Amino acid sequence: MPLNRDAQWYKDATIYQVHVRTFHDSNGDGIGDFQGLEGKLDYLQELGTSAIWLMPFFPSPLRDDGYDIADYNAVHPSYGTLEDFRKFLDSAHERGIRVIIELVANHTSDQHPWFQESRSSPDNPRRNWYVWSDTDTRYQGTRIIFLDTEKSNWAWDPISKAFYWHRFFYHQPDLNFDNPAVREQMWEVMKFWLEMGVDGFRLDAVPYLVEREGTNCENLPETHDVLKELRRKLDEHYPGRMLLAEANQWPADLRPYFGNEDEFHMAFHFPLMPRMFMGLKLEDRKPITEILQQTPEIPPSCQWCLFLRNHDELTLEMVTDMERDYMYDSYAENKTMRLNLGIRRRLAPLLNNDRRRIELMNGMLMSLPGTPIIYYGDEIGMGDNINLGDRNGVRTPMQWDGETNGGFSTAPPERLYAPIIHDPVYGYPAVNVLRQKASEHSLLNWMKLILGVRKSTGVFGRGSIEFLYPANHRILAYVRRLGNEVVLVVNNLSSTAQAVELDLRRFKGNIPIEMFGRNMFPRVGDLPYLLTMGPYQFFWFRLRRL
Amino acid sequence: MTNNSRGIFRTEQDLAEESFLTDDFLRQLINVGEVDILVGLPTHNNAKTVGAIVQTIQSGILRSFPRERAVIINADGGSRDDTPELVTSISILDGRPASHLNSLRTLHSVSTKYASSPASGTALRTILAAAELLRARACMVVSPESVNIQPEWPSQLLGPVYRDGFDLICPTYRRHKFEVILITNLLYPMTRALYGLKIREPYSPEFGFSGPLGSSFLEHNSWNDGTDGAGAELRLTLAAITGKYRICQSFLGEKLHVERRAADLVAALRQTVGALFSSMEPDFPVWSVVQGSQPVLSAGADQEVLLEPLRINRKRLREMFATGVAELESVFQAILAPATLAELQQIVRLEEEEFQYPDELWVKTVYEFAASYRKSVISRDHIIQALAPLFRGRVLTFLKENRNSSAEAIENNIENLCLEFERLKPYLLEIWKSGE
Repeated sequence: MPLNRDAQWYKDATIYQVHVRTFHDSNGDGIGDFQGLEGKLDYLQELGTSAIWLMPFFPSPLRDDGYDIADYNAVHPSYGTLEDFRKFLDSAHERGIRVIIELVANHTSDQHPWFQESRSSPDNPRRNWYVWSDTDTRYQGTRIIFLDTEKSNWAWDPISKAFYWHRFFYHQPDLNFDNPAVREQMWEVMKFWLEMGVDGFRLDAVPYLVEREGTNCENLPETHDVLKELRRKLDEHYPGRMLLAEANQWPADLRPYFGNEDEFHMAFHFPLMPRMFMGLKLEDRKPITEILQQTPEIPPSCQWCLFLRNHDELTLEMVTDMERDYMYDSYAENKTMRLNLGIRRRLAPLLNNDRRRIELMNGMLMSLPGTPIIYYGDEIGMGDNINLGDRNGVRTPMQWDGETNGGFSTAPPERLYAPIIHDPVYGYPAVNVLRQKASEHSLLNWMKLILGVRKSTGVFGRGSIEFLYPANHRILAYVRRLGNEVVLVVNNLSSTAQAVELDLRRFKGNIPIEMFGRNMFPRVGDLPYLLTMGPYQFFWFRLRRL
Repeated sequence: MTNNSRGIFRTEQDLAEESFLTDDFLRQLINVGEVDILVGLPTHNNAKTVGAIVQTIQSGILRSFPRERAVIINADGGSRDDTPELVTSISILDGRPASHLNSLRTLHSVSTKYASSPASGTALRTILAAAELLRARACMVVSPESVNIQPEWPSQLLGPVYRDGFDLICPTYRRHKFEVILITNLLYPMTRALYGLKIREPYSPEFGFSGPLGSSFLEHNSWNDGTDGAGAELRLTLAAITGKYRICQSFLGEKLHVERRAADLVAALRQTVGALFSSMEPDFPVWSVVQGSQPVLSAGADQEVLLEPLRINRKRLREMFATGVAELESVFQAILAPATLAELQQIVRLEEEEFQYPDELWVKTVYEFAASYRKSVISRDHIIQALAPLFRGRVLTFLKENRNSSAEAIENNIENLCLEFERLKPYLLEIWKSGE
């Protein structure tokens, strides 16, 4: 299958997020690798994936799951070689699947040779590649992100006898983007991978690139300048490649990251995700419509990235205190499920393994404006292991079958990089790909179906959205429109059956055709259009004037 | 035909008669769905005050019940000043920064017109029906004229129901000493003597109640007795007592009203005393065995009294009393015992300065009216009307007695009256049974 050559391919994409370590182990060492991942590309193609987002696979001491990079231009030996990566990339492209990799630009590992040089002497040429200070009192207005582990954004370096700046863990010193040499080096890193053929970068932690006294050191104009410079070079030398921003910010603060189509192509919509969970629990559309009302228009070539879960905790930074308390009480009553300002759980356990709610959430993910991202394993309803520290509980091995290690690896179980889930509900004997492939009504097959239906129209990736506000607040309804194509989406957020009357007078004469079964519903007339909906049910109607 | 919970068959005609809710209202309720909290707001031409009241209710709900599913139900008696439109359109966020009061949920405001003229009983029935259909756990009713409503009221009236399992929350207020004399001199002492509970305001435009109590009252109250449910608020209190529901009182602070012309005393008597008298017959097995009275649990102060001087036309009150006693002599002969009537005729002759309608005589008067009401010695409505001039005489006495009294002294006088009602309860039982 050829690659989609449209320059805005990312708008129609369905992205599958995976860490190579977690997916499949080809050499029996207990750690997933590129050969293993390549061997599962058919599975991803069959699922309907059109892009893979790979989490960091670079050499690293792995103190932050690879987000502490020690070498930007190589592959961690546990995952294979550069050649393995190249082969995987080609195989993916052959299947029409694009590959997005991580660019952790804000910081490196403290084991990175750049930092080792930098700390070695104040006179070292790389000294100014990081942010050093004689005191830990600069940039006092800056929040600490990892509240559970870090007390300051400054760490004392006994070798250098100075403080260095870090927004994340203390072992992840921030690069100094005021230094032109750092900016140039980062472009060299990008070029290295672009030359190989990668289709895009997910830039980690972009709001924090530059620091300025008297500010909160987030979203600064100087940071945007750095990003614009990278985008300009990308467009000039590698058109059709894509930049995706990870910026956990309010929508209004996110908007500048799109610039005038001269910064990022895509950005995660962080505030929407917790509100989808909140709306579901409250059985009320208000949190969802409210945040989308506050979401500014973005330039035509830009796109939001939507997700339900990912490798991190379900972040609650972009909610009010009251909302956060509600989310904790609703989804993380057990305090061990909480981490930083979030909830470290996978989709299925968050939703009590309720198939109807899982489907509804995926239905919204696929039909709201943006490009959906599926976190590996969520397509089969994998569980988590809250007994593992940090966010490792949601990063356990993929469950392929009911055999030893769930088909992930032939290594002895104790040698796996992390224990596979084996509890009675979510364990690999019960939840695995093989079993779900064989079951017509499995979650996996339903996911294939919905991805196929989504792909049947461009309206979800590129269309406009207009919310309907039926008097029943448990119903979230909207119209997606692209040219003459109109799709009506109606979601019942309630655990009980609901009746809803929709004002569809402007679509009078249209015949709603339910997109999953392709069944006709009564023609739209002058009267309010009455729908009765089962618990957590949703409809996608193509409105046809025939 | 259909079978109700008590196993009694209802005809389709019965059901049709019971369908007092409009289709439009039902449609709105369907959209609201199940709720935890329901606030009822009966209105009639309250456009001047209702907006601020709705905003305060919304504010109170957001503060005290931010996670709960809530709805405001406006039962309107045919307003011509866009009151219902105001109720449904006003938002807590109107004209205020949104940040400090952020709601998790949609807060619905629903309005229905139940009649072209106001009837508080019908309004309450509409609110009770909505509460039952929406399966509300905790409900409250608020007067559209309570201009000093505070955001704490929802917590004070709903909280004991929602959080502590009470079924009826009766308010207490900080009132002027001469306010609600009908309550202090009749309703409070008589319900206390009859039912044995010291509920200071058994009849109030504000109160909280549980879903089960509301449903039971909706089911069992006589709504089709031709009175448009007059006095339903008091009947709800009595139903809670006789049904052994859990009752408490909650102090709401000062009670202010919008300026308006004086209320029609006869109408007020019909709504309250009429409701009390008519409840006595079915409730006889309960109240006939009650002796003494018990306090009910109170949150906050019991009640407070304001002592500012008030100009009252005492001469006019005395004239109305004297005229009534003279003109209604034949009526009183049918209602009152000869000795009671004789005493009344004696005090009529007293000059204003010496005038006094003593506690004992007043209690006997009321009890004899109640017994006569039961026996329907004349039209029941005429009996209630005949009480009006006598009540004015009692009001005059209360005003005179307490003109310069301290709050404590006033409370002592009210307490003494209550004890007199309790002391003379055997007399009530005696005359109650005398006609059997």
